[in-house]
Amino acid sequence: MMLLGLVGIALVVLGPWVFGTYLLNILIKAFFFAIVAITVDLLWGYTGYLTFGQSAFFGIGAYAAGLVFAHAGFTMLSALAALGLAVAGTALIGALVGWLSFYRGASPFFATVISLVLPIVLTQLLLSGGAWTGSSSGLTGYETFELPLEAWYWIAGTALALVALLGSLVVRSDAGQVLKAIRDNESRCTYLGIRTSRVKIVLLVATAVVAGLAGFGYGSFSGVVAPELSGFVLGTEFIIWVALGGRGTLWGPLLGAVLISVASAYLSSSMPFVWQLVLGCAFVVVIVLLPQGLMPLLIRPLRRGIAGEPALVDRAVRALVEQDAAQALVMEGVAKQYGHLKVLQGIDLTADGGQLAGLIGPNGAGKTTLMRCMSDGSERTAGVVRLCGHDIRTLPPEQCVRFGLGRKFQNANIFDTLTVAACLRIAGSVRERPALFACSPVLAVPSYALEVLRVTGLAGKLSAVAKDLSHGEQQALELAMVLTLEPKIVLLDEPTAGLTKTERTQIGSILSSLALRHGLCCLLVEHDLDFVHEIATRIVVLHQGRIAMQGSFEDVAHSELVKTIYAGSTHAAQEAA
Amino acid sequence: MVLLLDWLTTAAMLYIVTAGLMMIFGVMKIVNFAHGALLTLGAYASFVVTQLRLDPWLSWPLALLVGVVVGCGVEAAIVRPLYKRPLDAILATWGLGIVIGQLIVIAFGRGVQFVDAPLQGTWSIAGLPYSAYRLVLIPVALGLCALLSGLLNGTRFGVKTRAVIMNEELARGLGIHSGRIRFITFALGSGVGTLAGGLITPLSSVDPDMGLPWLVGAFMLVMVSGHSMLSLLVTCLVFGACQVMVSTYLSPVLGGLTIAVLAALTLRIRPQGFAHG
Repeated sequence: MMLLGLVGIALVVLGPWVFGTYLLNILIKAFFFAIVAITVDLLWGYTGYLTFGQSAFFGIGAYAAGLVFAHAGFTMLSALAALGLAVAGTALIGALVGWLSFYRGASPFFATVISLVLPIVLTQLLLSGGAWTGSSSGLTGYETFELPLEAWYWIAGTALALVALLGSLVVRSDAGQVLKAIRDNESRCTYLGIRTSRVKIVLLVATAVVAGLAGFGYGSFSGVVAPELSGFVLGTEFIIWVALGGRGTLWGPLLGAVLISVASAYLSSSMPFVWQLVLGCAFVVVIVLLPQGLMPLLIRPLRRGIAGEPALVDRAVRALVEQDAAQALVMEGVAKQYGHLKVLQGIDLTADGGQLAGLIGPNGAGKTTLMRCMSDGSERTAGVVRLCGHDIRTLPPEQCVRFGLGRKFQNANIFDTLTVAACLRIAGSVRERPALFACSPVLAVPSYALEVLRVTGLAGKLSAVAKDLSHGEQQALELAMVLTLEPKIVLLDEPTAGLTKTERTQIGSILSSLALRHGLCCLLVEHDLDFVHEIATRIVVLHQGRIAMQGSFEDVAHSELVKTIYAGSTHAAQEAA
Repeated sequence: MVLLLDWLTTAAMLYIVTAGLMMIFGVMKIVNFAHGALLTLGAYASFVVTQLRLDPWLSWPLALLVGVVVGCGVEAAIVRPLYKRPLDAILATWGLGIVIGQLIVIAFGRGVQFVDAPLQGTWSIAGLPYSAYRLVLIPVALGLCALLSGLLNGTRFGVKTRAVIMNEELARGLGIHSGRIRFITFALGSGVGTLAGGLITPLSSVDPDMGLPWLVGAFMLVMVSGHSMLSLLVTCLVFGACQVMVSTYLSPVLGGLTIAVLAALTLRIRPQGFAHG
């Protein structure tokens, strides 16, 4: 990696003496394109947002230069005005697109659709601009910066190097892991309190401005701006370069953009249609067979070992005050229905800190729906839910987490491509903002999370990638992540599913100590009645969407009603007879 | 009156172009970004018929055949491996679209061509002359809707397809060969796509890039319209009306944008689009 970087820097510095004028020209344009390709990789490769729209921001920057210089002449003032226009325009449009694409419940499809519509709308607007925008022929021949070719080469090359450096610092940092987490499992991120919409909008605005500046450079250098620079086709070319170069690597798209641009320039005169055909075929082949791209394949033999892992440290847990403990969870008259189907009706439930309530009931009783209504304000159709005194109204999960909720899902819901340490750090990001340009050497987790990690052996596997862990270890990791939130209420959906007897006992003792020693309010949905008997302080039985009864385990186990619910009425009647 | 006819014929054209994409998206949840190239392919099939001086009505079955054959190949080679990666399927079919486009350019050149319309001249509606071929598209669109709805709702194949749409795992568990359903649906959807290309070319011209603007419009319509052929018809009527109004009263350029912008706003406000419930 260092070697490639040095070679790149050398080429940038020595370029004017090594390359001819034609090649220098091509390279300057290629460098500006490569800057945009890097932004596309940040959005798509790292954050999982497939965007065809970065070309629109590039075009805005280019036309900012073209419009101002063509209509207002070229002076120091107009250059600054053009620059300001490029930055402001891209930031504004980026924010608008972000607001439109990244709202709660938006599907990734929809975000891609919007990113598709943007360059098309922009191109049409430019085409209908008449003499002002130059319409289909664009603007040409305007006066621009009087700089020799070599100077432009150094400017473009340095800009590219800076963007690449900045980008790689961000993606390697702790904050950069949040992007990958969003890509891997956005829902889990929201349940860890991360405002994913906000993160994505900020990222989009930042990359839009960078792409706009690259466009500004391009427009200033080439002296020609045409609607193609903001078009859909260019947008897809960026995607092709990133896909071929290797998404999620930064340097792959950089090399892909530069090499393909240069090759296209030379080959499109000699064999125009065949070259496009080759590119198209290569693109299809890469997407289907080699989704990681070509460059990582070539570099694989040269990969070195993993980076160092942070040290685990105990983090002092905020002591729970008396007020926090009482009435941690209050549900009044909660109901959920889909059309005519009533899944939950008339749920009145209160739970305090220090209690461990087991929620049992046959399949289809509505247990998981109940959990969803507790953790997401928009789920229920009626009733009031209060978490630690805060009414959750229709607030999203990230807000419920900030009120003190932690939810562990039934299937291990973690970040597949991140290490154990990174998963935990992201889980703690609500309490401790991750560093933007650095990797902290210390990972602080609360004592109960630390206990989970030690007991299950994860404390020694901080560098292991999450998807390589065993099922039981993944469940433990998710539990540790939820506990790192320092929640006041913990919802656990079948925490023992798929665990061995030993693992069950370990989890059991940890959960009881959470309630008894640390005063958390724990609610667990379980089918393993022995497990529930050992650790629960009270039982809630759910049947056909209503709470059938509540009480201690003995009351519930010996109740006729519960036997009927589980075994069916004929069985109970036979027993009685 | 002319406005009314413009509206109905535009809605009909939108429906014809989008039906193929809708079939594929409904069943496979994959957006076939090669649809634009398929439209172009169908158009060039018409062109071939014109070149060979055959009866222009033959262009319809020829286009359909070409589409089905290409669809079979594409499903097996490209779409099947990407069944679990829908965003990548968009990209791969886009790449395919580029490949098809370039092959067309290599075979036919970049120039704009014209095809013979099966029906020339105008008909008189309420005393006003209106392009006969455009008017024919209205019953064609309705016929296509009826045919496809009939296929989905009235045949065993249709029932199996709807089962696969709703719950593929369960359908497979009940012995329905979902792979075959997907294969047939994709081939049929491609066929309808190329047929649409053949149907709309007599109204304009044929060039290698003609499919692209239709692709984006069709994509947006599919996103908005939900899952049934009928809701697609309704969507086309509504959006067709808006496009015609904007084109006539504001500017044709903005008219081209209407569908895209309106669809985006509709989805933002109501994510299910025009679907029921």
